[in-house]
Amino acid sequence: MKEKEFIELEHGGGGKKSWELLQEIRKVLDFKGSWKNCEDDAAFFKMPTKGKNIVFTTDAFIVDPIFFPGGDIGKIAMCGTINDLSVMGAKPIGISLSMVIEEGFPKEDFFKILKSIGEISRSAGVPIATGDTKVTEKGKIDKIEITTAGIGILETPISNGGIKEGDLIISSGDLGEHTVALLSERFNYKTKIKTDSKTLNKELAQAGKYLNACKDPTRGGLAANLVEMAEKSKVKVVLEEKSLPYKKQTVAISELLGLDVFSFASEGRFIAAVSPKNSKKVIAILKKFNKEAKVIGKAGKGRGVYVETGWGSLRPIEMPSGKLVPRIC
Amino acid sequence: MKAQEKILEKIHRIAAEIGKDVNIMEVCGTHTQAVSRYGIRSVMPKNVHLLTGPGCPVCVTAQEDIDAIVSLALAGIPIATYGDMLRVPGYFGSLEQAKRKGAQVFTVYSTEDALELQKKHPEVVFFGLGFETTTPMTAYAVQKGLSVYSTHKLFIPAMHALLNMGEVRIDGFLDPGHVSAVIGTDAYKGLEASQVITGFNGDDILVAIYMLLLQISEKRKDIENEYKRAVKKEGNPTAYKVIFEVFEVADGNWRGFGIIPGSGLEVCKKYGKFDAKKKYKHILDKIDFSVSKKATGCKCDRVIRGLIMPDQCPMFGKACTPEKPYGPCMVSVEGGCNVHYRYRKQ
Amino acid sequence: MCLAYPGKIEKIEGDQAVADFDGMKKTVNISLVSDAEVGDHVIVHAGFAVQKLTKEDAWAVLKTYESARKNLRKNT
Repeated sequence: MKEKEFIELEHGGGGKKSWELLQEIRKVLDFKGSWKNCEDDAAFFKMPTKGKNIVFTTDAFIVDPIFFPGGDIGKIAMCGTINDLSVMGAKPIGISLSMVIEEGFPKEDFFKILKSIGEISRSAGVPIATGDTKVTEKGKIDKIEITTAGIGILETPISNGGIKEGDLIISSGDLGEHTVALLSERFNYKTKIKTDSKTLNKELAQAGKYLNACKDPTRGGLAANLVEMAEKSKVKVVLEEKSLPYKKQTVAISELLGLDVFSFASEGRFIAAVSPKNSKKVIAILKKFNKEAKVIGKAGKGRGVYVETGWGSLRPIEMPSGKLVPRIC
Repeated sequence: MKAQEKILEKIHRIAAEIGKDVNIMEVCGTHTQAVSRYGIRSVMPKNVHLLTGPGCPVCVTAQEDIDAIVSLALAGIPIATYGDMLRVPGYFGSLEQAKRKGAQVFTVYSTEDALELQKKHPEVVFFGLGFETTTPMTAYAVQKGLSVYSTHKLFIPAMHALLNMGEVRIDGFLDPGHVSAVIGTDAYKGLEASQVITGFNGDDILVAIYMLLLQISEKRKDIENEYKRAVKKEGNPTAYKVIFEVFEVADGNWRGFGIIPGSGLEVCKKYGKFDAKKKYKHILDKIDFSVSKKATGCKCDRVIRGLIMPDQCPMFGKACTPEKPYGPCMVSVEGGCNVHYRYRKQ
Repeated sequence: MCLAYPGKIEKIEGDQAVADFDGMKKTVNISLVSDAEVGDHVIVHAGFAVQKLTKEDAWAVLKTYESARKNLRKNT
């Protein structure tokens, strides 16, 4: 008899195990119809009016700590969903906000989180259109859980599997700083680095039309997301070691804790593929929003994602396999 | 860039002069990682073989010790451990699995965190793992009242055992840089091999390999130091001394080697009341450790001794992957099998 | 088996020191390197400083090594 299986923390980690669970979920929820299967960051619904196709996405947020340098759970809930729509090339038009709150959660903290949500909504120009609030008994959940869903409109979605051979890979800024903010809080490191959580709809509204592929490296970082993009696009991506988009503080904390810096998440960055003839234009647009935007590598024939080291050898970047646990060895 | 190309040219030239196959063994898990991370093997001459030795403390932890600590966790004793050990599977499961069953298992970055944890959980036992670099931290904490289950080991006896076993010809060692920072350079005297104490950047490893190849080519068996910035001749006497204030030398139980005399570190009598092996003898005595010796098909012990490459284990990449590890060599990020799996495309 | 990282000591208070690791600052235990001073670089493993660091990187070591070999050949 098959041993009883359990859902593990790694199933929610964004790595290989998450992806495997997702395939199993898709099998059960299979629905054959006139909508595009949810392969990208959002679902696509073709509408009769030109230019007004709908993309629809959702995300659940359970983070610990809920307040961290530069932000809180409300901020990343808003930015996460707005960005999932934006990286598909959509104009976000509305967000729904569901909150489950633990009995005894301080009202002051609750309204701090709401304030963050309101600020992002107004600065991004995306309203909270609907929502729901529930309270559960003490101990049934940990403080607060937020689910956001979002609707956007567009003509043609930017795929995250559209990298072409010869494309340049760009990063909209330095990566991994959301994870750095959480780690520094958890392990008592003092640093100027705060979460990189921000909305991307404004820069993508300008640059989106030039991009062949686009994704935001949230859970699982560059490792999970660029590997997924390269696999879907059936290309080989080689990153330049000297152009890797990580600040030295980010690398330092990853080395100190024995964690893979490529799996560090960002909540306000995107990686994209652009044809060489458009790259200068795109970088110029992106630098208006973040001066760290740059070309980090190139796509070519073959498979896999690699970093080209100082003496020409290729170091593979793999899908991260599990939870980030600090090591001493 | 230029300096690296120059050193590679020199390495290739010396290797060509040597002509025959050269076996260089690194004996530090962090070197195992670094060699693969910097793609060192892909730029080596064809006759220079970089072997992985028993330098991953997780990988050489005996099955009995894993089973013991998991049993203590399942018996309700709070356990503090470095993250490295969390997923290593024993006969009764891993510490992580014990945690899922309700055991109190805490991951700590340093023994100071464990001391802090002790304020909330006075009965906490620290799973002491590691060689001479890591043992001083445990010793410090024991002196401050932390209880420990020691699987700490001394490294040089294992290097002697490797050479004496003679299963693999080892022409030279890349000696572990941070162990050397504690024990100094003279500790390696008496080992019948060419040696270079090595740092952990790609540059360090290339320069060290060059120095080692020169020794091999000139038939010298010297102890040379590439990691001069961290390794002094006398090591760190303070750190070394504190080890022996708290621990005494005993037989060490190594996965892959069995008992290596004089390689283990047990809590000494003076600190006996902090020795979890004594404190919880009544629980540990009831465990049937014969199950620990059951053959599971895991060939980790042969990988550790450099006898086989990980992909020569029939389970490699099939039944045994980093997501579903069968043995510690696949669990540990520094384990030979894990590294080989993650960098297999090179 | 010894993940360690170099940090610069900024402040010392007894057994504890604030070390700066490329912009990441953390309190580490320096009881094993008791002669460390503010401004020193140390290598830190599992929350403890293990040794003071000099500036001799791999290339500096190689340079000294090769000139020593050259001198040896000159004198023999």
